[in-house]
This record gives sequence, structure tokens and C-alpha cells, in this order.
Amino acid sequence: MYKLDCSALACPMPIIKLKKVLHENAQENVFRIQLKDKGGLKDIPAFCRQQGLHCSLLSEEPVIEFEIRR
Amino acid sequence: MERQQLSIIHTKGSLDWAYPTFILASTAAAMDKQVEVFFTFYGLQCALKETRHLRVSPVGNPGMKMHLPVGPDWLRQIDMNRSLPGFLWQLPGMEALATWGFKKQLLAHGQVPIEELRALCVELGVQMTACQMSVDLMGFREEEFIESMQFAGAATYFAVSPEQQSLFI
Repeated sequence: MYKLDCSALACPMPIIKLKKVLHENAQENVFRIQLKDKGGLKDIPAFCRQQGLHCSLLSEEPVIEFEIRR
Repeated sequence: MERQQLSIIHTKGSLDWAYPTFILASTAAAMDKQVEVFFTFYGLQCALKETRHLRVSPVGNPGMKMHLPVGPDWLRQIDMNRSLPGFLWQLPGMEALATWGFKKQLLAHGQVPIEELRALCVELGVQMTACQMSVDLMGFREEEFIESMQFAGAATYFAVSPEQQSLFI
């Protein structure tokens, strides 16, 4: 599992970082991303839908965390 | 399947307006869209190698909220653009002060410096084109622009611009 901490970043950086990490870790299937940008609550699932990835919300407080599977 | 496309016509030459363009362009590129940004008139300022001259000013910009990035909470909550008389912002040094505050506020909210965001756009394959007519009209030289910049006219832009989504910023 690959962990990505984007808690200090705002839109669009979590999406950009996630895209990079997905690209650079082609052999990895499970990713966890943490963020504080509330827009990410809708943006990360929207990005995953569009990219054909599975995405589940693990927590909303104190940080937002998603698990993403290829 | 053909790649979806986004095209942005960027016309503004101040720091604040550079953000929406590069935020939307980088996000769309990360979502595998083919992105084209066409810089014209004052927008060319945002495509130069040098970015330190990009500024933001509350003058003629009533929608801009101005909060001090430092100081006690009660002071930081005051919108300086509304509460101070407009002419104050025309005094020497005020534009630099507003720009300093704006940059600090951006970083505090998790944004990255504009040249970093722009470099990410290039890395993600965003195609940038400067309007040749505007470059000549405004007296810019081609070597002042970032490396990946292409130079062309409106017809070239329309020949590659998408049928689906265009934004004018």
C-alpha cells in the first residue's frame, strides 16, 4: 500500500500528486491519500470515477482519508 | 476513444488571475484531457519566464477581499479593501504590500507558487501557445517566454481547439 499525505495542500495539488503517484507506482494497487481540503471530499471520488478507480472514504475528521484501488 | 479536450483563452495579466487558468489546466491534464492554453494580450504576462513582476491590486478590484496574513485574529478578520478608503491603495508601495499579503495567504492555504504550478502544467503536457499578434503588438521578445511556448495566431488556435469545452479567463 502506498500512502500519500496531501494534508498541507489545496486544490489542485492533491489530484496532481495522486495522478503522479499512480503513474510512478504502476505495480502498486492500493493507495491511501490524506487531505484537509474539503473540496477533496467530492473531487477525489470524481477523479477516481473518471479514471476507472475504486475509491472509499475511510475518515472525514480530523483529516479526510480515502483508500483507492485500481 | 478520442481524448476529451479543454481549451482556455487566458487574457489577464495579474497574479490572481494566473491561478484559475493553471489550476484548471493542470487538473484537466491530470484527468487525461488534452489541454490547450492560448495566451493573448495582457495574459502574455503569465507566460513569461520571469514571474516576479506579476502582481495583484485592490485598485479597481472591489471583489478582492484583503485580509492581513499576520496579526491577531480580530485584525485579520477585517476586509481591508472595504474598510479603508480606495485612494490609499493607490499610494506608492501599496500594490507591493497587497501582493505580499496575497502570496502569503495563498501559501497558508496550501497553494504553490505560480511558477511551480505552471511548470506542473508543462510536465502534464498542457500545450501553451502565445498569440503572435499580441506578442508583436505589446513589444515582447520570444526569448522572454518559457521554453515550451509556441507562437501562432488565432486560426492555428481554432484549428486545434476543441468542440467540447472552452473557457475565457
